[in-house]
Amino acid sequence: MDTATHMLRTGQRGTLFQLQMASRDLRNSFGRIGLAWSLAWHDVSSRYRGSILGPFWITLSMGLMTLGIGFLYANLFAIELHIFLPYVALGIVFFAVMTGTVNEGCETFVQAAGILSQTSLPMFTFVWRTVLRNLINLGHHLVIVVAVLIFYGYWRTANVPLALLGLVLMVLNASWLSMLVGIASARFRDIPQIVMSVMQFALFMSPVFWKPGRLKDYQAFLDLNPFYHLLEAVRAPLLGAPVEVGSYLFLIAMAIVGWLVTFLIFARTRRRIVHYL
Amino acid sequence: MKPASASITCTDLTLRFPVYGVDAKSLKKALARVAVGGRLGRHSGVTDVTALQSVSLKLEAGDRLGLIGHNGSGKTTLLRALSGAYEPDEGSIEVQGRIAALLDLGLGIDPSATGYENIRLRGRIAGLTAKEIDDRMDEVAAFTGLGPFLAMPVKTYSAGMQGRLAFAAATAVECDVLLMDEWIAVGDADFQKLAHKRLLKLVERAGILVLATHEAPLLKLYSNKVKRLDGGVASEVMDIRKLDELLAA
Repeated sequence: MDTATHMLRTGQRGTLFQLQMASRDLRNSFGRIGLAWSLAWHDVSSRYRGSILGPFWITLSMGLMTLGIGFLYANLFAIELHIFLPYVALGIVFFAVMTGTVNEGCETFVQAAGILSQTSLPMFTFVWRTVLRNLINLGHHLVIVVAVLIFYGYWRTANVPLALLGLVLMVLNASWLSMLVGIASARFRDIPQIVMSVMQFALFMSPVFWKPGRLKDYQAFLDLNPFYHLLEAVRAPLLGAPVEVGSYLFLIAMAIVGWLVTFLIFARTRRRIVHYL
Repeated sequence: MKPASASITCTDLTLRFPVYGVDAKSLKKALARVAVGGRLGRHSGVTDVTALQSVSLKLEAGDRLGLIGHNGSGKTTLLRALSGAYEPDEGSIEVQGRIAALLDLGLGIDPSATGYENIRLRGRIAGLTAKEIDDRMDEVAAFTGLGPFLAMPVKTYSAGMQGRLAFAAATAVECDVLLMDEWIAVGDADFQKLAHKRLLKLVERAGILVLATHEAPLLKLYSNKVKRLDGGVASEVMDIRKLDELLAA
């Protein structure tokens, strides 16, 4: 089912042709962004069907986790609560968006098998569906962010425009990762488990629950961790702290290289993805 | 808005695709094969299947083509290629007009969502706006004949009810080309009568119908042309009156 009134599909004609077809897929997906949006909304509302709080259930459990970890670790690390709790709260919320986008990316194409095998809809539509679904979830979790920033008085120093820029960089990077693991998981069914382990490992290796200042000699270890830069670009401005220029350069380079690689792989596998499913 | 005229043109359409076995779907096993020089498994588990071999087809408005052939002869693959889901390896497919595909009744439908939500979802996929869907909701709902069941999750439906829902939702959008695979097995006599009327209306509106089935009586009812597929190789498009000849061949 497609609104297009004309469809032409031809056989293989080399790499350049595949690249053209891949970019056409991307262009068409922007034309149908409304569809990705309604699919994402449908996902969110059907996942929480019948529950009173809807996605706020996750927000609630996240809030409780924030409180628990905030109080405990503030004591363990001997950091004042008004510094540590907002730090952990923002870390948990924004890291969850990244983890969600990447982990659910594994399902992007597999879940859409039914639609993909009988329509000529752009493949990118389903990537946006996953990304938008996680942004809708983030919208709910922002309650925690706003509450913490107001309660601890950070709203006076928070640099919201800069945090939004950070969020854009985060989404740009999380979405190529999401698409890449989506293609890989369509082809190899054991990828999702691997991705989940890696993301969990990344959670503990990144400064979500701990402050990077205590790392001392191992600063290089942080500088090479992409999730550290992704998180700092959003979290630091909200807490009124500066973001290093190096982080921005890292994220921009990561987005460009990542999308380039993902797009080339997509161009190569595009016509095969439906057969993987 | 009515496009000038619906048409389907396939030239020398060849479609091959890999079929992945369980082993080929595991990255760990693929890596293990590389590590031990490919001697771990006897074969990689990927089999190349030629599903269609130089199929040519030309249909114009008003054509109702029946596809016949054994299981695995390539009927569904041809329909999927016409829907734009499968891309040809060689040759080309050109379709003029809006396509609606009814290939897998259950697919594209969310079993835990209600009938109404599924109609909405399908409508959105077909490119309707939320308002356009609301406008035709009553008509679609009436056509399904499911009444109060539409407010219940689709997973509680019988196969026949799912078929009604899928058929109603798919044909709610004005399509010029309707692709159908064995749909008629579902739905009771009443519904089949309704569906029959709707199909005829579609074809009158200068549309094209491509229907894959095993059953000769159905073909005689709906088609005016017939094509036989055998192991991915297609016969010429013939007049329906020559069906018996074709079946005997």
